[in-house]
Amino acid sequence: MKEIKVAVAGNPNSGKSTLINAIAGTHLQVGNWPGVTVEKKTATFKFDELTINLVDLPGTYSLSPYTQEEVIARDFLVKEKPDLIIDVVDSTNLERNLYLAIQLLEIGIPVVLALNIYDEAKKKGYEIDIEKLEQLLGVKAIPTVATKKEGINELLQVIKGYAEGIYPKIPKKLSYGDVEDSLKIVEDGLKISNPGLLNKYPSRWLTIKLFEGDELVLKEAGLKGDEDFLQQARLKFLRPDETIESIIADIRYGIAHGVTKEVLTKREKRYIDLTDKIDKILLNRVLGIPIFFIAMWLVFKIAFDFSSPFSDWLGNLISGPVTKWTAVLLNSIGSPDWFVSLVTDGVIAGVGAVIGFIPLIGIVMFMLTFLEGSGYMARVAFVMDRLMHSIGLHGKSFIPLVLGFGCNVASIYGTRVLETERDRKLTAMLAPLMSCGARLPIYILFVGAFFAKNGPTVIWSLYILGIFMAILLGFVLKKTLFKGTVPLFLMELPPYRIPTLRDLRIFTWQKLKHFVVKAGTFIFATSVIMWFLLNVPYGVEKENSALAKIGKTISPVFEPCGFGTWEASSSLITGLIAKEVVISTMAEIYVPKKEEGKKEESMDFLNDLQETAVSFVDAVKDAFVNLFSFSINALSVEEEEEQAPLKGKLQEVFTPLSAYAFLAFVLLYWPCIVTIFAMKQEFGWKILAPALPIYTIMPWLVAFLIYQGGRLLGF
Amino acid sequence: MKLSELKKGQKAKIISINLEGPKKRRVKDMGVLPDEIVEVEKIAPLGDPIDIVVKKYHLSLRKSEAEQIEVEVIE
Repeated sequence: MKEIKVAVAGNPNSGKSTLINAIAGTHLQVGNWPGVTVEKKTATFKFDELTINLVDLPGTYSLSPYTQEEVIARDFLVKEKPDLIIDVVDSTNLERNLYLAIQLLEIGIPVVLALNIYDEAKKKGYEIDIEKLEQLLGVKAIPTVATKKEGINELLQVIKGYAEGIYPKIPKKLSYGDVEDSLKIVEDGLKISNPGLLNKYPSRWLTIKLFEGDELVLKEAGLKGDEDFLQQARLKFLRPDETIESIIADIRYGIAHGVTKEVLTKREKRYIDLTDKIDKILLNRVLGIPIFFIAMWLVFKIAFDFSSPFSDWLGNLISGPVTKWTAVLLNSIGSPDWFVSLVTDGVIAGVGAVIGFIPLIGIVMFMLTFLEGSGYMARVAFVMDRLMHSIGLHGKSFIPLVLGFGCNVASIYGTRVLETERDRKLTAMLAPLMSCGARLPIYILFVGAFFAKNGPTVIWSLYILGIFMAILLGFVLKKTLFKGTVPLFLMELPPYRIPTLRDLRIFTWQKLKHFVVKAGTFIFATSVIMWFLLNVPYGVEKENSALAKIGKTISPVFEPCGFGTWEASSSLITGLIAKEVVISTMAEIYVPKKEEGKKEESMDFLNDLQETAVSFVDAVKDAFVNLFSFSINALSVEEEEEQAPLKGKLQEVFTPLSAYAFLAFVLLYWPCIVTIFAMKQEFGWKILAPALPIYTIMPWLVAFLIYQGGRLLGF
Repeated sequence: MKLSELKKGQKAKIISINLEGPKKRRVKDMGVLPDEIVEVEKIAPLGDPIDIVVKKYHLSLRKSEAEQIEVEVIE
């Protein structure tokens, strides 16, 4: 055989991802399993003469039909029939991991156990009799330490061995004791009534599943579940307090327990469990919460304050020298004005918008991987679950939501940390209501113009409004779109581990690549479309542009909310590019700049290059200064002096009441396109179909209630 | 006694799991089985969920599920 298809299965926290990265690092392709938001990794690479097609299955504890991950894993194994399964086993937790291995063996595909985290097991004094383990389960077992790439070559050799037919193609059949007679009845019954099924599916697996009464399998097999042979098989085990499924679970654990007892010996060894020590402090009843908030503060600070100097530097580079020299180049070959504007204000600005996000997304992904890999993410869930559960979310939802206060895009990608699709989607739909950093300059402008006396209160009230609406929307969604059982909270608190740099690098890179390629294309396209809206017909006053026409068409809708002017509507449209653009559009409309005499710009290319380099050094410096300063920059914006004329104009058009209604609308309406595309990328159109109408109607209602309510109260 | 009523540091033997269908299977998949010895290690700062040690690893679960698990204190 020149080619072999290998599926990699294993418990969560068994180091499966690390092992996959160690085996196939640069060859990995990341996507989603069809129709769902569960990540699928595949890799095709050569080992000696052999082509290995690797598929990473979702991490699972079992192969029951009750979680999406488990259904995906078993469907793949049963339907795609890989040649070999590598089961990544946490050697420090043999028994629970063997429980999955035993279920994998039912499928009839040879299994290789990668006894991972073998070094830690040894440190703890565990001794595993590998030969005996291989013999009892009829598998190959290879000790591995994925973090140090130990055992990887041996594993590949074994894969090669299977490809060459050195090892048996059919695994050992484990005896399930008491129920074997019944399984025989099921199998015989199938042979008579549906012989085709036994060829279509792995026969042992099918027999067990039908005996258990697994609904998904019954449905696929076209059986009702009350066939005579099934009834007869179950007769002996019918008990009011136990299901067959539960009995079989006991049997599997019985085997896992028995095997573990025979192969595992524990030498008494002085071993200090660092995890316990750390948890005594981090999860302390008194200190737990304060420490947790400090940790979240750090996460937020690193994500936003550390990345922003780099984003700014990239932004300045693109809006400065890159734009300038492109314009110079285009002008020198005699391009028309509109074309220069399209390229610089449309195309380059669009590219800039994508590139500006790279530092943020890179750092956020790096940190999420770190939190996940280190084991702290599970503690976040443990600490916050009580609070988040009360609004129908999982404890881990806290992290993506907190990130939302910096940038909603970060939240959307952050939902990956959640285990179930339901939690991921629900969190993603609520995240845009967290008031992000880009909305803050708008608040500050309006507060400066209308609420100079109690500015901070007004700004805080908007943050609270966002959180309040998220809680409200969460309740509504829980009862409607996300009806059904709330996923069970059963979470392993894994030992603290230091994530490897290789893992951090690979995960961050995969995510960034994905963002630039997928979201990048869309953001770029939207930016060009926006240019046309703003500039067509070319050269006319802003009031006659396509944008103003659209603004004039929709503005009556906002009449009852207090801001039914075309200027407000137009700036809400451009605000979709990035919320803070609302300000620059208003500035352009209300206080158009006089055609300034062309600024004397230096035309020294080398000088620009030098300045760019210098400003990069400054950015690095700023990033670290930000990191060690106490306040969070992402949440503080300095008022700009030059906004005085704009404020004066706003005071003519808005009242304090309509200004507040407008701010509430700005907070709650459609998130920026980058967020929207991140949602599309992660969840597909089916999440936007309900989300976008919600983000349209809800803010309108809120603004309407604020404005009309306020008028009734005499404001 | 219920698993949810155990105090921090108490060890108990599981007598029965009174959750229905899928929930019961999932709890069992995690190694929470009758006759198994569990110990309550920690309780979250807000009182829920709890962290138990079962089959030598840490598992956290909500009190609403722990209430459905009958145990017998052994020490």
